[in-house]
Amino acid sequence: MIKYICKRLIYLVLTLWVIVTATFFLMKKLPGSPFDAERFNMMSAQQQHVILEQYGLNESLPKQYVKYMGNILHGDFGTSFTYTGQKVSTVIGGRIGPSALIGIQAVLIGLALGLVLGIIAAWKHNSGIDYFTMIVAVLGVSVPNFVAAALLQYYVALKWGILPVGFWTDWRCSVLPSVALSFSATAMVARFIRTEMLEVLEQDYIITAKAKGLSPMKVLMRHAVRNSIIPVVTILGPIVVNLLTGSLAVENIYTIPGIGSLFVDSIKANDYSTIMGITIFYSAFYIFVVLIVDIAYSLIDPRIRLAAGKEA
Amino acid sequence: MKKRVLALGTAACLVIGALSGCAFTGGTGGTTAGESSQSAGASESVSDKTTAPAAGDQVLSVYANAEIKTLVQWAASDSQSSMVNNNAFEGLLRLDEKNEAQPALAKSYDVSDDKLTYTFHLRDGLQWSDGTPLTASDFVFSWLKQMSADATNGYSFIMTDYIVNGTEYNEGKVSAEEVGVKAVDDKTFQVTIKAPTPYFARLTVLCQFFPLNEAYVTSKGDQYGLSADNMIYCGPYTITSYDPAVGATLKKNDKYWDAANVKIENAQVRVMKDASAALNAYLANELSQVALDSSNVAAYQNNPEFKSESEFRTEYLQFSLSNPVMKNKNIRKAVSAAIDRDTLAKVILADGSSSSNGLVAEGMYGDGSKTFRELNGNLCPFNAEEAKKYWEEGCKELGETPKLTLLVRDDSVTKAVATYIQSELNKNLGIDITIDTKTVQARNELMDNDNYMFASTAWGADYDDAMTYLDLWTNGTPYRGSYQNENYNKLINDARVETDDAKRLDMLLQAEKLLVDEDVIVAPLYHRGSATLTKSNVKGLVNHPFGPDVEFKYAYFE
Repeated sequence: MIKYICKRLIYLVLTLWVIVTATFFLMKKLPGSPFDAERFNMMSAQQQHVILEQYGLNESLPKQYVKYMGNILHGDFGTSFTYTGQKVSTVIGGRIGPSALIGIQAVLIGLALGLVLGIIAAWKHNSGIDYFTMIVAVLGVSVPNFVAAALLQYYVALKWGILPVGFWTDWRCSVLPSVALSFSATAMVARFIRTEMLEVLEQDYIITAKAKGLSPMKVLMRHAVRNSIIPVVTILGPIVVNLLTGSLAVENIYTIPGIGSLFVDSIKANDYSTIMGITIFYSAFYIFVVLIVDIAYSLIDPRIRLAAGKEA
Repeated sequence: MKKRVLALGTAACLVIGALSGCAFTGGTGGTTAGESSQSAGASESVSDKTTAPAAGDQVLSVYANAEIKTLVQWAASDSQSSMVNNNAFEGLLRLDEKNEAQPALAKSYDVSDDKLTYTFHLRDGLQWSDGTPLTASDFVFSWLKQMSADATNGYSFIMTDYIVNGTEYNEGKVSAEEVGVKAVDDKTFQVTIKAPTPYFARLTVLCQFFPLNEAYVTSKGDQYGLSADNMIYCGPYTITSYDPAVGATLKKNDKYWDAANVKIENAQVRVMKDASAALNAYLANELSQVALDSSNVAAYQNNPEFKSESEFRTEYLQFSLSNPVMKNKNIRKAVSAAIDRDTLAKVILADGSSSSNGLVAEGMYGDGSKTFRELNGNLCPFNAEEAKKYWEEGCKELGETPKLTLLVRDDSVTKAVATYIQSELNKNLGIDITIDTKTVQARNELMDNDNYMFASTAWGADYDDAMTYLDLWTNGTPYRGSYQNENYNKLINDARVETDDAKRLDMLLQAEKLLVDEDVIVAPLYHRGSATLTKSNVKGLVNHPFGPDVEFKYAYFE
């Protein structure tokens, strides 16, 4: 197990290196410069020189690359071009929080609701409640989150005045965006649970359990649910990454200072150091979550072994 | 079975552990917005924000449609930053409700007979928000900083163009003592300029001219201006919290010389990038003022809260003279004459924008009684028949019917304008043009590399004088169409040193005629307007047409 994790960690570093290198050179191919052309043209030659020097842009590309790699090994991600003087790590650090908070709340809502809906749907297979759940699930997957966000904002916040329209002042501001984001997660979890559980309910051990005279509730909770939960863990990885890394549309609608909009803005503005910083963060996070999911998988289901070791 | 329970439990712990790990940082990072080294500022902003008043409370709340990128004066060039800085700082003069410059930190100023030396007399007892006395040397420090090579906002020209030895100082050729800014004593600040400039005093309302305390700024080093508690203020308000992505909260500055006339205690600028979300926030009483985009103007224009004003900003088509097709004057004339600007402004944009009769925006200073625009008349009238004639003439000279490509940036308003131009040229000249849509950065690169035919671009006035537009075309860069005309350059250079205001104005009027009417280097399209809704209980909230945008100082609640 330890050996396996170590191996995966080495892969993680290798993958990151490839991503960083590719992004670095592709990014430099972006048309335009990180400076506002009109303003930059109005600077004196001296000032242009100073600012290029400051960001190390007057050196050749390979040199810049070597320097950048050296810096990130020392944990220095550079200074943002857009936010003059702000460290990229500070800028990103400040933006992860809101996105992560909303993302976690959305995951929790999605998991809880999805589980309940999926279980009920499977248990009451082919009943009205099953059809209803599946309609909700289809809607949840197909309605884009910005539509949900805009509708929620209009009705809940503006018409009924229950929650704030936007801004980022206290926890109340995080409710609507979390709900808007959770729809797709709810739908996905519900569908997976339902499908898996229908299969599990056909299994011999369920019939055995019923035959032994266990109450339906006990059969459901002890045998059916526990065995249906495995595929959810698989999709949990992508869902978590998706939600925690922020959504541009939802962040803009609710004016959340999150990382999704920072990423898009930094690309638009050719803010090299911020683009690199977020790319590294996103990739490292994704790879890490996938690793966690794989480990969790083996713990839940003993049939899955990560490495053909002595444990088998 | 037991093993499985254990495994499930461990997995759950792992997942929840990972989640709650994030949730923790999420919780703190989220509400304090901007953790790490700024713990003092962060905790302050928490208390600020949790007590942030909801609807109906007496807090003036406006929004910025983009991040407030920096509050460092010599680095800031965006309008969001200048809006915040203008409310927290002040220059020698300040714009009043009628957009006229009035004495502010300076109680008066004298101009020497040769119009080259300005002596500003500061008010008595001026203080920074931390109690430090504000003196003339604070102006010397900040002006020198703005002229030095450290200034990264691209606005050094606004001083070095005028102040004696400014350019030389920027290039490192002279020492600070030789530059034409001097603190005669604590309360007297003297500026020597190169040539008579009738609008020089009016420039000092701009953010680049605000004072900075040398001892304070130097002690903060590269942390200066990165958070609210790393700054001191001299304007009507102090900033109590600042986060580029969230906004800024402001509190009345008790140390401000005119504090008695600042009526609103608390104000905030919130970053909202989505226009419809901002409108929702306004309707939910979370904003005191909101800007409308054209799709919403029709629905609100009869609302008593509605107001529309023209800004000092002109959108225009720039022709590239180094392009073989656009080199032909008749082609340029044809394009310019074929566009009906009235319909563009009133029907297509319908957001308070006005059709442009020239490059210099409507309402800009002319001779005191008439505006520059009124004096110079309509230089680019719409005339479909003439346009068609020019076009045919041009095609004959070129020996072919050229294919035109219009380069535009990729925002929704510009795209609508480009589509309109496409249809106008189709209707009036019978041609199909290609629209090349690029991001701002990519468009700028194409223009800088002289790789375009004609492009849609805009210029907002830096100060209230036609020179802010007209001197752009003297450098002959590809971005300005590679325009090189001795007569034009002479007019502008002569106007720079002309002591007689009437003669100077005449030169500028001629220069604009040359640029727009005779040589058709640019085809002005429209002057941007702002359509806003302001809550009926908010009075005196001034929107300046140039420079710093929203002014809190004169606002009050009814």
